Amino acid sequence: MHIDGRTGGLCRPRRIAALALLCAAPLLQAQGLSHRPDAIWRHGFEAASAGPFSDAEAARFLNQATFGATLGDIQHLRQVGYETWFAEQFAEAPSYQAPFLDWAGQTAGVYQQQRLEAWLINSVGLYDPSNPPRVHKDQLRQRVAFALSEIFVVSDQNPGLELQAWATASWYDMLAANAFGRYRDLLEGVTLHPAMGVYLSMVGNRKPDTTLNIRPDENYAREILQLFSIGLKQLDANGLPVLVAGQPVPTYNQNTVRGFAHVFTGWNFNDCSTAAYPDCVGDYHAPESSAMRDPMLPFEAYHDTTTAKQLLVYPNVALPGGLLQPGGTARQELTAALDNIAAHPNVGPFIARQLIQRLVTSNPSPAYVGRVAAVFNDVAARGDLRAVIKAVLLDVEARYGYSGVNTDRYGKLREPWLKLVQLWRITAPRSVNGRINLLINPSQSYGQAPLRSPSVFNFFRPGFQQPGEIRDLGLVSPEFQIATDTMLVATPNDLDWRIFYFYVGSSYSYAQDPDQLLMDYAATLNPLAADPAALVERLNLLLMSGQMSPFMRDVLVTRLTALTNANGGRDRVQHALYLVLNSPEYSIQK
Amino acid sequence: MNTTRRTFLRRSLQAALGGAGVSALGQLGLLNAAMAAGSGTTFPDYKALVCVFLHGGNDSFNTIVPRDASHYGVYAASRGALAVPQNQLIALDPLADGLPGDGAQYGLHPQMQDLATLFGDGHAGILANVGTLIHPITQQQYQQGTVSVPAQLFSHEDQANLWQTSRPDDGNASGWGGRIADLMHAGNPNQAQSMLVSLEGQALFQRGDVVNQYVIGSYGVEQVSYLNAWGNDAGAAAFNALLQLGSQAHVFERSYARAMNSAVANYQAIGAALNAAGDVTTAFPNSRLGRQLHMVARLIKARNQLDLRRQIFFVSLGGFDTHGSQSDVHPGLLGDLSQSLKAFYDATAELSLANQVTAFTASDFGRTVSINGDGTDHGWGGHHLIVGGAVRGRRFYGRMPSLAQNGNSDDAGYGQLIPTVSVDQYAATLARWFGLAESGIDDILPNLGHFASRDLGFLTAT
Repeated sequence: MHIDGRTGGLCRPRRIAALALLCAAPLLQAQGLSHRPDAIWRHGFEAASAGPFSDAEAARFLNQATFGATLGDIQHLRQVGYETWFAEQFAEAPSYQAPFLDWAGQTAGVYQQQRLEAWLINSVGLYDPSNPPRVHKDQLRQRVAFALSEIFVVSDQNPGLELQAWATASWYDMLAANAFGRYRDLLEGVTLHPAMGVYLSMVGNRKPDTTLNIRPDENYAREILQLFSIGLKQLDANGLPVLVAGQPVPTYNQNTVRGFAHVFTGWNFNDCSTAAYPDCVGDYHAPESSAMRDPMLPFEAYHDTTTAKQLLVYPNVALPGGLLQPGGTARQELTAALDNIAAHPNVGPFIARQLIQRLVTSNPSPAYVGRVAAVFNDVAARGDLRAVIKAVLLDVEARYGYSGVNTDRYGKLREPWLKLVQLWRITAPRSVNGRINLLINPSQSYGQAPLRSPSVFNFFRPGFQQPGEIRDLGLVSPEFQIATDTMLVATPNDLDWRIFYFYVGSSYSYAQDPDQLLMDYAATLNPLAADPAALVERLNLLLMSGQMSPFMRDVLVTRLTALTNANGGRDRVQHALYLVLNSPEYSIQK
Repeated sequence: MNTTRRTFLRRSLQAALGGAGVSALGQLGLLNAAMAAGSGTTFPDYKALVCVFLHGGNDSFNTIVPRDASHYGVYAASRGALAVPQNQLIALDPLADGLPGDGAQYGLHPQMQDLATLFGDGHAGILANVGTLIHPITQQQYQQGTVSVPAQLFSHEDQANLWQTSRPDDGNASGWGGRIADLMHAGNPNQAQSMLVSLEGQALFQRGDVVNQYVIGSYGVEQVSYLNAWGNDAGAAAFNALLQLGSQAHVFERSYARAMNSAVANYQAIGAALNAAGDVTTAFPNSRLGRQLHMVARLIKARNQLDLRRQIFFVSLGGFDTHGSQSDVHPGLLGDLSQSLKAFYDATAELSLANQVTAFTASDFGRTVSINGDGTDHGWGGHHLIVGGAVRGRRFYGRMPSLAQNGNSDDAGYGQLIPTVSVDQYAATLARWFGLAESGIDDILPNLGHFASRDLGFLTAT
């Protein structure tokens, strides 16, 4: 088997001394430089929520709280500070996807591709052709909605949702609408949305019928507990499993699942009727219909009223013994059951940890989880997601955890799809007609796309450990689960294609289409190309929050300097973007 | 986490590294080369195991269905609207020493004609009521809680994981495919190429403590275009400089660089091998499972170019979590499974390797015998299929459970059937055929001794 000599990067770390000599670095001049990022200068005496005190600090915050820092956002954040920025974002008009689909549907069929288009317009913050001249600015809400969509999972890969673009769009809108609300309301929105009804088969769930050997469907009952609220194991206030005799303690058992399954009987699409109840699930529903986007409705004839239902048991549980006595209506019982879940002590740390993982770092300290969970558990305002999000992003560990004892393991692998989104955040992309045709299914190139998970367990699990050093150190690395050999090649190739072919002025055939998003290098980065160090510094700030190591900077500047500054600077810009976006240092957000 | 075993494996590795030859094949290659340095023997023959994982929990009670009047009556009463019509079942005619044991006659779902052919030709066997177990357990013991059972029964993620680790007593265990490879990979002539290959993403089944799995797509390997672009040698050099190990100060950055470097090394080697070996001529269904098994067949055909004599593959098909609309969804999945397994068997026959390749199914769990209206819920035990020339086919193995809704001593409750064969026993039988020594089988399956039989007999001795 022949291995090409260019793959010199395969050499082992230097601890195997004998091999080090064989691993001649291609760029020797870079060897003496530090491989650690430059420190971000900061004030030593302020609270974490004060500031930011530098462009780099502002960029770093924005790269956690939004889909990517821009020069304008950095400048604004430095002017107003974190607190005002949050207040502005909380007050910013929410962007929703369904209105875009309504508009697009006036002229053509609407499928999941159009939903992705709406997602991009809202998340990248693009000009909205459905509502000109609006440009979407609710970055924090959209970023949190995306995080929520990876915890509360619905997927257009489900056969019942594949052709239901309004169902998935309105699902995402429901997440966005609740992103700054209360967890309890979010949980109800999640439970009753028809997309979830279809995805986890609560729609049409019915009371037991012993003659027909029919039992209530346990699907939603199980996953709302395991994935959307409390998880499988009892947690302490810091999110660590409670151990008894060295073993974790289960939060519920099969009887509990059956209890909730009985609660969740009697719900169907809002255009259903009692007479048609068993058939409504299989009936055709037009994608744009209210049935596919508005909450399911109760049908008492199919709701179980005869059994006492075992719900969750925990200290000070409101229902005696966690037992819901029979007789309630479908809605009354749903309310009681969701109250029973939302008050469980696991919810705070369970949700806190996952939000931290989605936005900040894969391995938060228990104390960090505990601080955010404590905010969640506020007695007067339990589950106030505004406060929780602020607590996640303004925690001392969010702001300063990258330095200090955990400096070599803080942060997370960037989600591959968000690399593309961040590229577009900084390159002022636009299409001629305001529409966006991706040409490919992003999950083929990025291993993910909004609401396109292969299962309810998301693209990756919170506890995934990349084999090797990460696993040996007992760390978790969720996003590594999709960093497969296939995706590690496919993602750079799609980025390559877009960077080198889809820009304003490109002569590439596809780039001539009016619905192609073309990056405007001339208006953004080309002017810096004459000075490679300046170009690299700009990308360092925007993409890497000023954390690029001297080593990496030197590799890039050396490479760009050797490249003729042709095409108005575009050549250097393209290579710089490609090399940064596919580098290990950028790929780990710290 | 089995710290002792991992420590042992790593220590062996460190010791061997001292004398390892120089290799430019990356971390994986070095690890493997190091492990081989001490052993010296390679397998004389070729064998492959193919795990076909049915994600979501296959309804095996609608896959293999009783067809004689009395047993069908019991089934139909339990299954109501979801019962497969009796006159559509494809009759199975097992050999006299492979009868199901419950006196019933069975048939396959009407979408599974190809599988029925494999069964009739003696190339497929049926293993009854397999599931995750720590000990054998009766209904009474289950209800009284006197015998321990795996944690989080009926939960997808947990049970799918336990099927793949066969370590219900260890939540951090590696996969049993990976553990087999840890012990056997040194017998492969080429240590640079992983003997563990997964289609459709990383699989826990294929996670070893030493050997890393290679994940390939159904359509083959793609190259990093930037590294191969004309006139971009300097760009490629910069790309590689940033990826060179030793250039990262952060644990995750190093891990990313390792994964990336490994991906490049793998596609170069596998791409070259696939090109040199060429495709099989057997036609595969253009389905999700068909495409995966087609790629497996291509990789088996390339075994000489890859210089591998033991390979373990993991393919998967999703959508089996049929809580709703089961009658619409399940038949198509079974059809894909049946046609794809038949095409795969035919491809191994084309390669004259039918007796050396064994495919077997696995799934999160069986489903409930009871229904929820238009679907079924999460169960426990379920039937599984083993396909290949080495299978003592046209036989049932194990005991087919009762499908009665009342008074059923196989029922853990709500029609979730208590398994009578453990995943351990299933895995041990496959691992023994694959060539793993008895001591190795005990090492990878420490709970195997809890069960009466170490070999279920569905594979021929070699």
